[in-house]
Amino acid sequence: MTTLSQQVSNRPIPNPKKSLITRLNMGTGLIVGIAFALATYYSMQTTLDDATLNFQRNNQVLLATMFMWSIGFLVGIGAFIGPFRWLIGKDLTAEEQLYLAGDGQGIKRYFKYCTDHKVVGIQYLWGVIAMLAVGGSMAMMIRTQLAQPGAKFITPSIYNSLVGLHGITMIVAMIIVATGPFGNFIMPIMIGAADMAFPRLNALSWWVLFTAIPVLCSAWFLGGIPTGWTAYAPLSVQAGPGMNAFIATIIIFAVSTAVAGANITATVISMRAKGMTWNRVPIFVIGATISVALAVPAFPTFMVAMIQTAMDRTFLTGFFDSNVGGSGWLYAHLFWIMGHPEVYVILLPGVAILMEIVPVFVRKPLFSYTAAVVGFAGIAGLSVLVWAHHMYMSGWLPMLNGPFMVTTEMISIPTGLIFLVILGTLWNGKPWLKVPMLGVYAFLWNMLIGGITGLYLSDVPADNYLHGSMYVTAHFHYTLMGAALTGAVAGLSYWYPKMTGRMLNERAGYISFWFVQIGFQILYLGMFIAGAEGQPRRVSDYAQMYANSNRISTFGAYLIGTGFIVLLWAVIHSWRNGVIAPMNPWGAKTLEWTVPYPVPLVNFDTPPVVTSDPYGYGKAVK
Amino acid sequence: MTNTKRAASAILSTLLGIAVVGAVGITLHTLSADALRGKLVATKSADTITVDGKNYPKASVTMGVYPDRATAVEHGSKPTKKDYVQYGPSNHVVLPAHTYVTMTLHVYDSGDKLNNPYFGKVVGTIGGTINIDGVDVSSVAPDAVQHTFTLHGLPTSSQDPLFVNVPLPHVEVNDKDEFIPTKDPGTNNKGHTVVFSFLTGGKGEYVFNCEYPCGDGTYANFGAAMGAYGYMSGKVTVA
Amino acid sequence: MSDHNDVHLEPTPGERFSKFLKRGDIRETLAWAAFYTAVFVVLGAYFYPKWMPTVMSTDMKAIERLMVVFTFISAPVCGFVMSIFTQTLRHRHKGDTPPPDGPMIRNNRLGVAVFSGVASLLTLTAVIYGLIELNSSAEAATKDAPNALVVEVTGNQWVWSFNYPSLGVESNMLNLPIDRPVIFRITSADVNHSFWPVQLGVKADANHLATTLAQTTPTKLGTIDVKCAELCGLYHAYMETSGEVMTVSDFNNWVTAQGGHSA
Repeated sequence: MTTLSQQVSNRPIPNPKKSLITRLNMGTGLIVGIAFALATYYSMQTTLDDATLNFQRNNQVLLATMFMWSIGFLVGIGAFIGPFRWLIGKDLTAEEQLYLAGDGQGIKRYFKYCTDHKVVGIQYLWGVIAMLAVGGSMAMMIRTQLAQPGAKFITPSIYNSLVGLHGITMIVAMIIVATGPFGNFIMPIMIGAADMAFPRLNALSWWVLFTAIPVLCSAWFLGGIPTGWTAYAPLSVQAGPGMNAFIATIIIFAVSTAVAGANITATVISMRAKGMTWNRVPIFVIGATISVALAVPAFPTFMVAMIQTAMDRTFLTGFFDSNVGGSGWLYAHLFWIMGHPEVYVILLPGVAILMEIVPVFVRKPLFSYTAAVVGFAGIAGLSVLVWAHHMYMSGWLPMLNGPFMVTTEMISIPTGLIFLVILGTLWNGKPWLKVPMLGVYAFLWNMLIGGITGLYLSDVPADNYLHGSMYVTAHFHYTLMGAALTGAVAGLSYWYPKMTGRMLNERAGYISFWFVQIGFQILYLGMFIAGAEGQPRRVSDYAQMYANSNRISTFGAYLIGTGFIVLLWAVIHSWRNGVIAPMNPWGAKTLEWTVPYPVPLVNFDTPPVVTSDPYGYGKAVK
Repeated sequence: MTNTKRAASAILSTLLGIAVVGAVGITLHTLSADALRGKLVATKSADTITVDGKNYPKASVTMGVYPDRATAVEHGSKPTKKDYVQYGPSNHVVLPAHTYVTMTLHVYDSGDKLNNPYFGKVVGTIGGTINIDGVDVSSVAPDAVQHTFTLHGLPTSSQDPLFVNVPLPHVEVNDKDEFIPTKDPGTNNKGHTVVFSFLTGGKGEYVFNCEYPCGDGTYANFGAAMGAYGYMSGKVTVA
Repeated sequence: MSDHNDVHLEPTPGERFSKFLKRGDIRETLAWAAFYTAVFVVLGAYFYPKWMPTVMSTDMKAIERLMVVFTFISAPVCGFVMSIFTQTLRHRHKGDTPPPDGPMIRNNRLGVAVFSGVASLLTLTAVIYGLIELNSSAEAATKDAPNALVVEVTGNQWVWSFNYPSLGVESNMLNLPIDRPVIFRITSADVNHSFWPVQLGVKADANHLATTLAQTTPTKLGTIDVKCAELCGLYHAYMETSGEVMTVSDFNNWVTAQGGHSA
């Protein structure tokens, strides 16, 4: 840290003609990426022999093209310059490192391989907003189709693609929605660090993720995916060329998650300010770190499952083909060993943001910090032991349904602790109902409903009825959207002043909040009813008896859509025209509020020393 | 910026956002409308026929199953969908309600074994039989099928149930290309002609698909043409 | 504890508890908790019986009962959460400046212990109740197996078909005689499906080259909706059929009409 801050004070001016680094940006990335992709595509088309089956050969070409695009883009943007220098026994010069940090480059640095964690945070923020907008629009299409029975809006194949692509877009967006923007921008400042532990890996994690976006979009132009985001084999092995885009996206995304997860974990472990002992770390940092640390072991299983699917599709390996000794259950296991921890990877940072917000807006200390940490750790620990509750009905070893039911229901105990921490902090307080604080209340209600409906689903006999129905869809939207996304939006309005220097338009924030939350309750009340009535999920058409509940749901969905458009307006408008924010508008005590806007390159002029936890609010009780 | 201007900006931007999402919806809807290549409306005749003591008007419709090289759209890289086999001339069949419908299928494809032998049986036609090149049969050997015409729909209070399964016998040739006809069904006499009748109920929306695994080597041979909408699948409107 | 003449007598736990209960904030919270608990109990008692379809089998009956009981078990938790939710909202701070500092309560070990204990007990109740139901359904299945009607269910992209091996009948409809145990032997001709005769409260996946068993006893005459509950491709939504629970004589007539022989 000292070397970098000394260099900042010395301010050497990088010579733009001196190094290749200064000429590389997103544009060169796109050029090299597209060149790699085209070269791969045409060379494989001409060299592959005609003996292989058409679909097999097609899958080989498409997958190779997609991966080469990703690699080409990273080459073109300069991601491998550092490793290449190491190969020849050198490293980047100090000026080059400073150049990479984007110092003094204005808006251009957002389109470069920039190592500044604040730049990466903003890149993630806009990436997430774009993904949520696309995924949300797909949800509108889905709900429009389901507004009435008879499949009058779109074809079943477009509908199935929408369901799958909505699913995966939202899952990817939700995994990074909190740890991407806030974990990168805010968290290092929160712990008093000058940057992340591995700034170049930080840039890598974003740009690797970026290369997955066009790959996923290409699924549309390759005939879509029929499998939903769970991509169950053997359906995924049978699926058309669009499936390759899904597979490539997951593999690329898994690399990005691993890099980001290792980086955030290493930063929190090794870069905390002097005096910031583990019991003085802000709770958001704890939640986000446990979340990414959980993602690090979870994602590789999904990646492996996708590699196996790709091999089944390209080389007919038959991992999941029971005709040649494979098994669809193998896929289901690999998927859910990732899949269930993954929902907590999404949930924990959102909850942790809200825990960070509550003490500030009720002016009370966080209630029972230990319970919060135990709650997070307990959820993370148990979450790796529950995956087969998604497989109660699959026919795989029914004998183990009982044990998995026990582990699943045990998760409600640490989840209860999370509730207790928030409720205990609220207790006898006078909440200041600013936009971030509203999210806390929305979370309490939504997570309550999501949690209780989860209890039914965890029970084997009840799951006999509910599994695969709209009830499940409503349940996990309550937890992932109602709880985790609400937390992330609350975090955006809370940290917006620090990230942009301006306050988020408050009235628009309220309007958006009420549209979204009221629409949300209407949407999923309708969906709970449809599920209880027996409507399966992921259907492009349904019987007349479900018409009313679906019509209610569609109305709610349109309200949510409108609410989020208002929020998007507020974010864009306030970024340019908002009220200039004071350094600490909420009167919070965490370290990020002690730095000015724009946040200096190395965050702190003098490294901070921490002497207490950041929750020292309140009057002593007699 | 004044409050009025800000409010106007917010409202206009929101409307713009809604318009963008709406435009995406309209685009998808337009794409969907083309997927089945128009409608094939059954020809009503003046005749009536008595089945189980009830009088029904008659109608007829003629379709074919053929790899449609004339109308297929090039798609993606190799393998093009040009090679996909499909029902035609349209995959949206419109039938009159409460009618005795006689369907004629001209079929030209080779074939093999069904995934589920059940679909070798004739179900839901008048008399439980179909007429293949002049011979009435009630089933086709499950390993000598080229495609099936399997008509079904959601069991729902708003429409009568309708289930028809017609197995189509394969054409025994080595060189399939010899039998690939032009766009118009019926112009090639080397295939089979399958005729069968069934009764429609009240108004409703149904779907049909093929149960013969003709999906080009993919898992269970249900990918490719089988998984792409509007080739071996379509819908039937009873109006 | 010193002798009885001590003027600074420590209150006993009982006294502290009754004093605790007399606090205004506690009373308000308890009142809200009671109110919300009652709301959730009523909701649980009415929501599922109202919206879930006709109970037509022993298993479906158990499922509906279980849903209601689980709502009752979680009602106190909802009451607790919503009481503090409401209590704090009623005392919200208004204005553009941060509120005055609240009481500095950093922890309350007794509170955390009591909460965790109660939450664990409720969870345990749910777990035990669920395991008992699971076991009783398994026991019933074993007991009923010898005289059960076997139906072989095959999922095919995108049509169900049913084979009654003992009767020599194959059909696209699932017709069953009333009050006779039935064993479904479920398999798939291609990808994964999930066999779901809705009113019977049965669900089991259909896997290629594997047979999944499910069992129940239809107890009420009426129509069964059979659906697919696992996304299986293009026409997943249309992979539905219906059937009927019939009187024994009606069922035998149907079997004969299909060309089978009645058992």
